[in-house]
Amino acid sequence: MPTYLRLRVAAEAYAMPVEFVREVFELGRVEAVPGARPEMLGVRNVRGQILPVADLAPLLGLARAVPPGRLLLAEAGGRQAGFAVDEVSGVGELPELAEETQSDLLMGTAFADGELTGVIDMPRVFDALEGMRP
Amino acid sequence: MTGFDTEFIELFRDETARRLDQMDNLLLEIESGDAGAEGVNSLFRHAHTIKGAAGMLGFDDVRALAHATEDVLARVRDASEFSPEIAAPLLRATAAMRVNIAGSGQPIDDVLADLAASQAGLPGGAGSPETGEASSPVTVPRQADAPGARQAPGSQTTLRVPADKIDHLLDVAGEILQHRRRLAHSLGHQAQLSPDVADLLGLGERMLGDLKDTAVAMRTLPLEVITAGLPRVVRDLARDTGKDVEFSVSGADTELDRLILESLSEPLTHLLRNAVVHGIEPRAEREQAGKPPRGRLELRAEPRGSLVEVVVADDGRGVSPDVIAEAGRDKSLAEVLARPGFSTATEVTDLAGRGVGLDAVKAYANSLGGDLEVRSEPGQGMEVILLLPLALALAEVLIVERGGGVFGVALAAVEEVVTVTGTTTLQNQEALQVRGRSLPVTDLAALLGATAPPLSDRSPGIVISSGGRRAVVTCDTLLGAEEVVVKPLGPLLARVPGYLGASILGDGRIALVVEPATLTGGPRRAPGPVAPVPEPPAAPKVLVVEDSFTVRELQRSILEAAGYPVVTARDGQEALQAIDRDADIALVVTDLEMPRLGGLELTRAIRASGARSSLPVVIVTSHGSDDDRRLGIEAGADAYMVKRSFDQQDLLATVEQLVGR
Repeated sequence: MPTYLRLRVAAEAYAMPVEFVREVFELGRVEAVPGARPEMLGVRNVRGQILPVADLAPLLGLARAVPPGRLLLAEAGGRQAGFAVDEVSGVGELPELAEETQSDLLMGTAFADGELTGVIDMPRVFDALEGMRP
Repeated sequence: MTGFDTEFIELFRDETARRLDQMDNLLLEIESGDAGAEGVNSLFRHAHTIKGAAGMLGFDDVRALAHATEDVLARVRDASEFSPEIAAPLLRATAAMRVNIAGSGQPIDDVLADLAASQAGLPGGAGSPETGEASSPVTVPRQADAPGARQAPGSQTTLRVPADKIDHLLDVAGEILQHRRRLAHSLGHQAQLSPDVADLLGLGERMLGDLKDTAVAMRTLPLEVITAGLPRVVRDLARDTGKDVEFSVSGADTELDRLILESLSEPLTHLLRNAVVHGIEPRAEREQAGKPPRGRLELRAEPRGSLVEVVVADDGRGVSPDVIAEAGRDKSLAEVLARPGFSTATEVTDLAGRGVGLDAVKAYANSLGGDLEVRSEPGQGMEVILLLPLALALAEVLIVERGGGVFGVALAAVEEVVTVTGTTTLQNQEALQVRGRSLPVTDLAALLGATAPPLSDRSPGIVISSGGRRAVVTCDTLLGAEEVVVKPLGPLLARVPGYLGASILGDGRIALVVEPATLTGGPRRAPGPVAPVPEPPAAPKVLVVEDSFTVRELQRSILEAAGYPVVTARDGQEALQAIDRDADIALVVTDLEMPRLGGLELTRAIRASGARSSLPVVIVTSHGSDDDRRLGIEAGADAYMVKRSFDQQDLLATVEQLVGR
């Protein structure tokens, strides 16, 4: 059974396969890059490396009530980025995924702990971010 | 060729390419009628050496071409007749060898037939190839062509070091510099340093500076690594357009960043092509204008401060008076000419493609933090000047703050710093008198599309000079000059215009390094709408499967630059998942050796799958033997390319052929 990192984005429940997650830390100081798309919060210094930071909420079509607090360092297909989320709620398995979803960026949904949880398709998220114009 | 280490093959390619460049230049001299016995002897030596090495490594076509070339040259030498006509078939032969050392296996029969025909036309009549072979030991020159005898001017030892190791060294040197800066920053908060500590810090700084300079020097190469083939390019262009052109190169020993050199050939060739096709007039027109009948075309390079100036100068038509009039007092020629689609030619010729594309060359220079300038007088010729940074990774920048963000501007583009007060406004454009000239004043935040509170009175302004324009850019505060390591913003932010990259400062903050041309170009439109912008009608999507990050990103950039959307996978398994998931993938470009699932297995799996079994597959690999190729084709690959000889045009041509764009 695959293992998932479970997280919250704009108060909704999401998960992503742990194989894409490198690290989780405080959102910290993110410098805005003027002219970038609104999904891109900017860049952050992570141990001397410059990490692009995206906000998962607008990507998933959600509006935020509270600012994000945590940062996931994710990697897919050799591409790395930070993703701002509300919080990380745990690591674990999920019941079998239903593959019908409304969003291109989800690989499926699962009903876990009384909540519908969207499973994020990280390679697609990277593809979407790269394909977008500024 | 399978028995040989690829290293040898690479060495052979390098060396042969150099020899072919030299042969081309000698042949061009013969063609223009100013060569004699010595030139033919050199040509003969080169051909002979290439023949030997090619034979040893199994490049049979190259060997056959070199052999035939040698025969013709032997006949020419024996006859002591150096007619210019002999050059053309030999130039075709060197071109064919060049293609064949790259491993593309182009048929050579035509070229061989040409050579045989030209040999038959020489005094002494047609000889059988065997005669040539038999005579060659006798004619091997006295000064043997042994490696070392000619390759080592001076007695320096040369090491071949992988480029990425040098890049890593420079990265590390840059990181240590920053580390030291951070250390100095923290120590700065403490009280008086003891003299000992200050001395040690000073010594450390000097040694670090030395290390950095050495690393930068290792990263740079002389311009001549890309100019050797240019005389040939100009000669071919001149011949195709019926022009008479004398081409010269000066300052070829000027050093430039290796990464810049890798990308410079194309824009440079473009500028030379413009000069030959559009600039230099046909002979009759020149004579009528009282000019020497032969057009002059010059490529010269020289350092200019922290930049290098690469100039393409011709004595042709120059720009039309209309262009001068349009530029008027306020605009530079570069601005008018580099407007997208602008052309100095009244008709578009096949040779130069559509539009003259100075806009593309300018965009190229700007993307490197450089610039483009143009000087021209109607009827008097034209100089196009590419200003390029000496080293890409390190830059002296002025650090400024605006709206809470930190930005860096290359010092090379900063003329001076002024206090902005007493501005005047005309047609909504604020202006400031600086040394008797009125310059436009713009807020840095407006230029970049940032949100920021209004500037205070008497805010600092930087006078920027770029793209032939000057402008004053205002900000909140100036933080001072720093030498920084500029890092790319990465693929997710690469499309945001206006930045060269970002740097981590001594205090750990990130400064965005701004393209100077962005600062003199007027305010930018507000950032795009929030809703995702749909891509234009999709070009076929390409899946790149490759475990090496560098190769993967290289292939991605080549394909994306040609307009293909690209997705990537690190091995065959990831690739199969991607293919399952993404029905838009129209072509697969794969490596052979990868963890988990290799390229052959991936190809077989695709062929065995139901729905996507006809998906085109291109194998790109470092294995170049016929056996490997056969295995690849048997597994069901549509094309097979060798990485060592990897050529982006080849890749694009293959992709285009397979997905029919």
